[in-house]
Amino acid sequence: MRTPDNDHENDKDPSCPAESLSGDSSRRAFLKNLSIGAAAAGAALMTGCVPGADAAANGEMRLRWQEFFKKNYRLMTQEEKDATVDRLERLAALNDDLDLQIGSEPPLPKVLYGYAFNITRCEGFMECVTACIKENNLDRKTHTQYIRIFEMEPGQLDPSTGDGKFFHEVPVDNKFYMGTQCFHCENAPCTKACPTKATWKEPDGIVVVDYDWCIGCRYCQAACPYFGRRFNWGKPEIPRDEITTKQHYLGNRLRPVGKMEKCTFCIQRTRKGRLPACVEACPTGSRVFGNLLDPDSEIRYVLKHKKVFRMKEELGTEPKFWYFID
Amino acid sequence: MKTMSYNTIAVLLVALMLAIAGQGSASDTTFLDTVKAATDKYDGRGVQQVQQVVQPTVLAKEEGQSGPFRVLARKQEIGRFVCSSCHDGKTVLAQNATNLTHGDVVVRHGQEGSGLACVDCHHPEDRDFLEDKKGNKIDYDHSYQLCGQCHFRQKRDWLGGAHGKRVEYWAGDRVVFNCTTCHNPHAPRFAKRFPATYSVPTN
Repeated sequence: MRTPDNDHENDKDPSCPAESLSGDSSRRAFLKNLSIGAAAAGAALMTGCVPGADAAANGEMRLRWQEFFKKNYRLMTQEEKDATVDRLERLAALNDDLDLQIGSEPPLPKVLYGYAFNITRCEGFMECVTACIKENNLDRKTHTQYIRIFEMEPGQLDPSTGDGKFFHEVPVDNKFYMGTQCFHCENAPCTKACPTKATWKEPDGIVVVDYDWCIGCRYCQAACPYFGRRFNWGKPEIPRDEITTKQHYLGNRLRPVGKMEKCTFCIQRTRKGRLPACVEACPTGSRVFGNLLDPDSEIRYVLKHKKVFRMKEELGTEPKFWYFID
Repeated sequence: MKTMSYNTIAVLLVALMLAIAGQGSASDTTFLDTVKAATDKYDGRGVQQVQQVVQPTVLAKEEGQSGPFRVLARKQEIGRFVCSSCHDGKTVLAQNATNLTHGDVVVRHGQEGSGLACVDCHHPEDRDFLEDKKGNKIDYDHSYQLCGQCHFRQKRDWLGGAHGKRVEYWAGDRVVFNCTTCHNPHAPRFAKRFPATYSVPTN
């Protein structure tokens, strides 16, 4: 993989088109070179050779260029994945002076993640929501949140009947609390709606988005029956000291404007064996997470011994998110 | 010629219906069947990044569905443990006790009944231990053995994993929160408070 450090080598590379070696660093010349022909651009792309500019700008330009023409994440080899996260780390260091550790951990074998939510135990403290916002680098300006907690009347099981905007001392007597988020459907309608195949279900059951392939058409948001997806209307604003630097390509890395995002079961944590941030933050233990393919796991215990239900089960979306009662 | 084409259409229709029926029977199996069929114990050693839990833990005296597991230790969390540093046989004046140590303890436990007294859980002689209703000494680190006498449903769920939660990792050795990690044994119900944030309509 070409790096800004070996610019000099590139200049000597005979496969680079002559136009791009003119040494003229102006923007106009750059654009002119681009317009000279697709062949030249193609050749430049193939060799990683970028029209001349001063070293630092050239390095960043090359990184941007390579980022722009990279493949869909699913089509990348592991080397290409490593290369793109490396580029993203370096771009973040160059542009925003951020020291990020972006990962591209593959799914773990023999793992299928499942989630259960205890509606008897949840008391509406919303620690999960704050933990999620922080862990997943969610936009603070628009108050984007993946998790929503609804205050429900007894006997109701549809969150649309609940109060999703409560802010008073909790728990309120004779109410119960129900959380929603992306349910990571086995038969996910959102992935079928995507025209660019930028969202899909990973082998470990997590529905993910390749933010760099998303075109922001929001078809997936329309297709989701659970209101599980969120859109970045503006450039996300996060206080610098609150940025979670341990990231995953498909997870909590900083999304650009105009991209869809959603809960990823904290893919950057779960693929390293850790619990999602919401589970770790929950003060009442209402949230159970684990490997569905492990007969000894907590989630399997819940499915076997508790009264469970899933939301809108009749749609056939097969969510991997169960509600249960004690 | 016309009848021929009708026949062809009929054959095609039957074929189509068969195909649809075949598809229907195929989609009767869901991922839940795969989940139920998965009976092999998961080998967490494939997850290399799992570290040891840093908090002090003890091996539980009972087993969950996955066999032995660990619980977070309790003793080092108790401010004035070891109790026998005061309760060593000498006379302790009640006045001194409330001023020095237990004045902040308000028992809000078992209020549906007549409420609990100290010695309902604490050992009347050996203060370094708890005592269950059969008179067995219970270590503070294994308070689940005491709590489970009344809250047996919660204890059953806790052993299985539906009550309480694991510490930090879903993979690797099972380490769970103790009863007293989350619940104050003197006032086990969580206090009412304002939520950490509020929900806003998104998009």
